[in-house]
Amino acid sequence: MTSKTTRSILYWAILSPLMVVILFPFGVMFVTAVRPRAELFTYPPTWGFSEFRWENFSEMWVKTNFGGALLNSLYVSISATVVALVLSIPAAYAMSRYRFAGKGAYRTFLLMTQMMSPIVLVLGLFRLMMALGLVNDLNSLVLTYAAFNMAFTIWMLQSYFNSIPRDLEEAAWMDGASHLTSLVRIFLPLAVPAMVVTAIFTFINSWNEFVLALTMMRSSEDFTLPVQIYAQVAGRYQVEWHHVMAATVLATVPVAIVFSWLQRYLIRGMALGAVK
Amino acid sequence: MSSVTIRGVRKKYGAMDVLHGIDLEIRDREFVVLVGPSGCGKSTLLRMIAGLESISAGDILIGDRVVNDVPAKARDIAMVFQNYALYPHMSVYENMSFSLRLKRMTKDVIDRKVREAAEILNLSKFLDRSPRQLSGGQRQRVAMGRALVRDAQVFLFDEPLSNLDAKLRVVMRTEIKALHQRLQTTSVYVTHDQIEAMTMADRIVVMNAGRIEQIGTPLELYDTPANLFVADFIGSPSMNFLRGTLDNGGLRLADGTLLPLEKVGRGTLGQKVVFGIRPEHLVLSEDSRNLAAEVEVVEPTGANIQVYAKVAGSPLCAVFTERHDFRPGQRIMLSWDYERSHLFDDATGQRL
Amino acid sequence: MANRIQKSVPLMMILPGLALAVAIIGYPIFDLAWTSLQDVSRFGKLTGFNGGENYAEVFGDPLFWESLWRTGIWTLAVVLGTLAISMPVAMILNDDFYGRGLARVIIMLPWAISLTMTAVVWRWALNGRAGLLNATLMNAGIIDQPIEWLATASTAFVVEILVGILVSIPFTTTILLGGLSSMPQDAYEAAVVDGASGWHQFRYITLPLMKPFINIAIVLNVIYVFNSLPIIWVMTEGGPANGTDILVTYLYKLAFRFGQLGKASAISLIMFFVLLAFTMLYVALVSRNDRDDAAPEEEV
Repeated sequence: MTSKTTRSILYWAILSPLMVVILFPFGVMFVTAVRPRAELFTYPPTWGFSEFRWENFSEMWVKTNFGGALLNSLYVSISATVVALVLSIPAAYAMSRYRFAGKGAYRTFLLMTQMMSPIVLVLGLFRLMMALGLVNDLNSLVLTYAAFNMAFTIWMLQSYFNSIPRDLEEAAWMDGASHLTSLVRIFLPLAVPAMVVTAIFTFINSWNEFVLALTMMRSSEDFTLPVQIYAQVAGRYQVEWHHVMAATVLATVPVAIVFSWLQRYLIRGMALGAVK
Repeated sequence: MSSVTIRGVRKKYGAMDVLHGIDLEIRDREFVVLVGPSGCGKSTLLRMIAGLESISAGDILIGDRVVNDVPAKARDIAMVFQNYALYPHMSVYENMSFSLRLKRMTKDVIDRKVREAAEILNLSKFLDRSPRQLSGGQRQRVAMGRALVRDAQVFLFDEPLSNLDAKLRVVMRTEIKALHQRLQTTSVYVTHDQIEAMTMADRIVVMNAGRIEQIGTPLELYDTPANLFVADFIGSPSMNFLRGTLDNGGLRLADGTLLPLEKVGRGTLGQKVVFGIRPEHLVLSEDSRNLAAEVEVVEPTGANIQVYAKVAGSPLCAVFTERHDFRPGQRIMLSWDYERSHLFDDATGQRL
Repeated sequence: MANRIQKSVPLMMILPGLALAVAIIGYPIFDLAWTSLQDVSRFGKLTGFNGGENYAEVFGDPLFWESLWRTGIWTLAVVLGTLAISMPVAMILNDDFYGRGLARVIIMLPWAISLTMTAVVWRWALNGRAGLLNATLMNAGIIDQPIEWLATASTAFVVEILVGILVSIPFTTTILLGGLSSMPQDAYEAAVVDGASGWHQFRYITLPLMKPFINIAIVLNVIYVFNSLPIIWVMTEGGPANGTDILVTYLYKLAFRFGQLGKASAISLIMFFVLLAFTMLYVALVSRNDRDDAAPEEEV
């Protein structure tokens, strides 16, 4: 046996307990989502079930107003991502390419906002949105998500922008390009991958946010997915767990797949700029 | 093609002065090399000519036009960057034609110019490749090609060969020189490598700590360095220096040895001076009144022998083209041609 | 003139984002500070200053002290537990072995799922009657009666800490991986040549070089965990009988359940200052690393 094979077996053996615990909730999710309602509370509890009931998903869709919440989540996440990116791209470019007075202070301010969690400010934010008449308005979430994500997006974009050599733009100027031309024809094409990756992570962050959505959205037709699913569980005498799990599967699996596919970029971005 | 005039140019970053007033006249068609240790301000000066750095004080003229406030794109200058700065998302052809397309030249003209330049640089086969697929030397050529198609007034080179391996560097050095002889475009070339400077330049500008130490042709710098810095910087192995005081009949070294100088002439008695002699100008001698040295290390390179020895406690290097069988510990006597020795004032470092 | 326009370009670029951040993140802090000093009606109407009475009320409330104490345990346990697991995991993932890509994807998986969803699934998995954790443990013969995991505060809190650790592992591992991948390979080779054992390499090379990354992982995790509402909120809402309340759940209940807005603002502000202290620590750590990394500047 080669040493790499031995090592691989050893490593997988060490990691396997952790992996079991990580994968356990996914198992619970799937097994519950497809079992008949009558088998939810069998005694003794068991993993097994008599039949795959895929209808659970369609029933759930109607009963929990999944479609409405899905649209709300999509609207909020996409809008917040667009707003955050439109504001972050120029800021990240300035941070990456210019020296200017107050740059250090701005960097510190970004770090501070990065650390400020919504929960500490939630009461103040609620009062602010009340004053603006934006409670029960999805746009309140768009604004807050954009603001809370901006430190991350600027950070991430800046670290990628820094890896695009400055002399490419200088070469373009020497070639007779204006600042705008070099930005559009040299810099932006090279920055597209970074912007896509950053956008997707911002989308996922917004998609998963709970506290602000729970607070700002007071009526059920405005709920985003996490709140909608939580509402199926909290304060109910009887919870339709098979529907809840079906909804969780639909709400998490697509995101998890995209995330898994992109996680290496997150690691790279953090290695490039965040931690250093 | 055009001359470049630099008048009293200064550069400050905040409170720090990077360039303290540079005056330099680069003539039309000339190949000038700015050379100096890293941090001496040579690249900053080049980037100021290019329009990539602002000018804190003074004027830069291209031809008769003051270009202080002219942006880089309007200066009609081409530049080859240290890391080539090839646009990674464009093919070689697109890289080379980018500037021409910006000028909205017709397709035929662009095509002719790019192919002409590619022909000169042996790049014709690679026009469709992306920069990623090229070797270091080929990338270097593309970077030059991008400058070549422009018919620019001035070419700037920012340490263009520093990323190549030693062999390729020598090849490209010759190619750039041949290219200049053919095109005669005014060129400013920055390097920290004095051999590059010596081999390529019409004139060399030696810079140190934001100042010009000396301007001259390669041989002027080699034969009559204006000061200790230039004497030390130009030539390899470096010039030997012996410190001492001028005395009757020669130079009194620190340990009391009297180094016979045929005529002192250039200094005054009692003056503290530095005596300089290049390793290749030392010769073996039988005369016991000459310089006695104890051999420490012998390095044969094939073409010559480099001998590292101690003289009156100071290290000294000698290079002989004839073969000798030296051994460590051996005592040898050295002499030199008086005309090829140098004398500097110890306090100011200036040539006497 | 042209120079002045040029100088304002970067400022124009950061200004729009800055304005949004100040409005959404800066303004509420002032509003909270303002509110915390006043009497507030259930409906958010400010009815005059009461001279720090809100703070006195907070400090006089035993629930505040219990929640604070529990917040300390929660934060400490989750952060240290996470670090203890993430360090070996990161070292394994940094090494070359068959299936490393897959292993990375699985380890990172909890990061992709919102805390809310994770907590909802665990709440079901830990169900005292039919939860599949009970099913698993009974099948394995470890227990023979289902356990009501979330019905008593002590077990519920422990379980919540474990879930907290689980969801913090991916982020922490990522930071540590970033550090490990920037480790100079030749230092290890030199150590091997010098006769260092695996333990020595870890003790004298990996650990000292990883210290800045470990510090940052600790501080960031402290901040995130200290602030984390969804896990406890979804699984037990701080119950039973306030037995799993930490500051954030206590704050949320005060604000949005009991309508004690003055008191809630006071707690918010207290938490803000705690957070600020941690953030300063983080800024100090980051800028120290920056200085260490800054090579003598080459001529540009």
